Amino acid sequence: MKVLMLTWEYPPFIVGGLGMACYGLFKALSSLGVKIKMLLPTREEVFFEINIPDEADYPLAKKENGEPLSPEPLSFFTYFYEIPQESAYAEIKTIIELAKVELPQKTELKEVPDEVINRLKEILTKGDSLLYKVSQYLQNVVKLSQKISFDLIHAHDWLTYPAGLFLKKIYKKPLIAHLHATEFDRALGYGHPVIHEIEYLGLHYCDCAIAVSNYTKGIAVEHYHLPPEKIQVVHNGFTAKEKIVKKVKKFKEPVILFLGRLTPQKGPTIFLDIAKKVLSYGVKARFVIAGAGEMERELMLEAGSLGIGTHIMFTGFLTREEVERALTLADIVVMPSVSEPFGIVALEAMYFECAPILSKQSGVSEVVENAYKVDFWDIDKMVEIIVDLINHPDKLKELQKKAKAEVEKFTWDEPAKKVKALYERVLKEGSCYT
Amino acid sequence: MLYIIFYFQVHQPFRVSKYSFFDIGSSKSYFDEELNRYVFNKVAEKCYLPANEMFKNLILRGEGLFKISYSITGTFIEQAKLYRPEVYKSFLDLIQTGGVELIAETYYHSLASIFDLEEFLEQVSEHLELMKREFGAEPSVFRNTELIYFDKLSDVLMNFPQIKTVLIEGADRILMGDSPLYPRLSYNHAHLLLLKHYKLSDDIAFRFSDRSWKEYPLTAEKYVKWIKDLTLIEREGKNLYLGLFMDYETFGEHQWKETGIFEFMEKTIELLLKEREIKFLFPSEVHHTLNYTPKGLSVPTPTSWADTERDLSAWLSNSLQWNAMKTVYELLNKAKEKGRDDLIPLLKKLTTSDHFYYMCIKYFQDGDVHKYFSPYDLPENAYKYYINILADIEEKMEE
Repeated sequence: MKVLMLTWEYPPFIVGGLGMACYGLFKALSSLGVKIKMLLPTREEVFFEINIPDEADYPLAKKENGEPLSPEPLSFFTYFYEIPQESAYAEIKTIIELAKVELPQKTELKEVPDEVINRLKEILTKGDSLLYKVSQYLQNVVKLSQKISFDLIHAHDWLTYPAGLFLKKIYKKPLIAHLHATEFDRALGYGHPVIHEIEYLGLHYCDCAIAVSNYTKGIAVEHYHLPPEKIQVVHNGFTAKEKIVKKVKKFKEPVILFLGRLTPQKGPTIFLDIAKKVLSYGVKARFVIAGAGEMERELMLEAGSLGIGTHIMFTGFLTREEVERALTLADIVVMPSVSEPFGIVALEAMYFECAPILSKQSGVSEVVENAYKVDFWDIDKMVEIIVDLINHPDKLKELQKKAKAEVEKFTWDEPAKKVKALYERVLKEGSCYT
Repeated sequence: MLYIIFYFQVHQPFRVSKYSFFDIGSSKSYFDEELNRYVFNKVAEKCYLPANEMFKNLILRGEGLFKISYSITGTFIEQAKLYRPEVYKSFLDLIQTGGVELIAETYYHSLASIFDLEEFLEQVSEHLELMKREFGAEPSVFRNTELIYFDKLSDVLMNFPQIKTVLIEGADRILMGDSPLYPRLSYNHAHLLLLKHYKLSDDIAFRFSDRSWKEYPLTAEKYVKWIKDLTLIEREGKNLYLGLFMDYETFGEHQWKETGIFEFMEKTIELLLKEREIKFLFPSEVHHTLNYTPKGLSVPTPTSWADTERDLSAWLSNSLQWNAMKTVYELLNKAKEKGRDDLIPLLKKLTTSDHFYYMCIKYFQDGDVHKYFSPYDLPENAYKYYINILADIEEKMEE
């Protein structure tokens, strides 16, 4: 089975959880015999092959003609706006007309209506710089795909949905739309109208939709009016990189950690409120806010105004290695996300023997047992839990051990099997409706 | 008679290292030795050495008529001895000419007067001892960090009976239309207050090389004319006192030698020495030359010479600065209680006002000045490094 993967992130080019989820899934799929060709938003016209699991660690870049690209390093679209020479509309049209396609004889597959394609062409020219990159990616994908042989298309998040829909239209091959995060999560409500529309179109006109959690499926059903039977839930897995975790005691007081981008979605202000309350009870603890983001100054000023000295600390941006160091010295990790499709950080925290306190508005809270699950707005409850854990070190220790033991059982094998089964059904039945 | 009082501030802070969260508990040094050495040597070449040479020659040529005063911080003396003994030697030479008066301040150039009066008294005593030890000087004039002054400070300074005179900023909001050329008495009548003439001081310190300034280029002739014009306000024969107070780094560092600042100063002094109605004076001599009783002056809230606000906002206008400063004094007190002689000197170095200046996020023009002087890319980072260091000290304190 050959799958054309469309994704915007893959290690080492990662911004958030998407890249890590793709890595875990692709590697596990590869060990189930799935052959993967991956298309990333590269400036060069290349694709990547993962034929055996080991190649998932360092996928090989290949040129259009299948020749390996070496030794040139890859550069991604840089984040500045380039004005297209002509309108994106004209360019898309030409390429599609040029595409020479052998059509398979399967007819049971639902077609993408022309209106959808026309609508995508139109909204992608409403271009801010990100939409422009999306249409550049689409054109790159359409061009390269002509030389790649594949059975189905698997697109990850809205950035790749337009490309996925175009390929489905051209090749009449099944499209799987994977929903790792929605615009509702990122914007905490209504976001960019074009992004909403692309998410809507991708989910409705694919042949099978996959959500990373029931929570995210719920958003698709409620806000995008997707029939519940059209979207399958496959929870993310987790692969532990290191086998030995050695906890470090850096401070005499217990360390409570927030780890994530400093954006409203991740709820850092909630974490500050928790810190404020816990410290106001005279509890000795150190709160660490780890990560960078647009809210940093605001949060620092707010923290400073509490006058709590060094008891709320900011680390700034952390490298991957520093993330692990931060987790080894933390006792409790709070993930107070306001809307979190999955939240892989919770599993990492558990792996590093931190007691997890997770927002109920998260996907990960559906799959773990040994964690406190609290509504993101219930600050008092989280304060109560933290104070209780600090006052009962044995209880804290026990939770840390249990969390670790639980997460050690996590793998990507189960999710990959589920995904592969969906591939098989789509190929056989033309859809994966339950 | 118009008396000119030149006063220069000589200071270098111990800038902190880029001390990250993960450096806590490590043996990394709190202070950026390499950076501090680099800055000191750079400023030594551009300012301290050539400026000392120039003023020494002017004093010698003036045959007792040209006088200047300095306040030299403890952290500066430490760095001079550590990084460039030649600079220390050059100050000794300069002071030995007899044309220099030394002024007292806080050893660490801190804002202790705002946060911790006990510590303030300690730091002033440390500085007085330093002046005695290094230069055999016994100052009777005081200036607080960046000319910070408020009524209560005069009360506190009564702990040092030898202090008779205090230098302060001639801020509009305390003078309320009065001229800064007349010395004043503190609200409790304990000290004579000499006011900085901020216009004529800043013409040299800030505007001298500003090409967009309508008076550019400033010539010695023009500047001397402005000074002479000042005497026109006085019709009853009262003596006037022109306080020209500025950072010593003005000469060669803030205003590079290419701007002609050295030639300007030499020429200006030369011209002023020829004037019969103008004399140079040490700040401590003002007492004896007054031919009238000064008016009182009340300064209920702190003034300073920093930024356009001339208040404490350069160091205490946001919560980062406030939390950092509050915490360092808390830790210093704790260290004193526990008798932690290993931590006390480190914490004292961390009270230096510059650390808080780097955390300032006021924007507009002042923001630019803050950025120019800051060794860190962002005020947030200056704060992070500082707080990480305090956290490390806090951990050590428990040992």
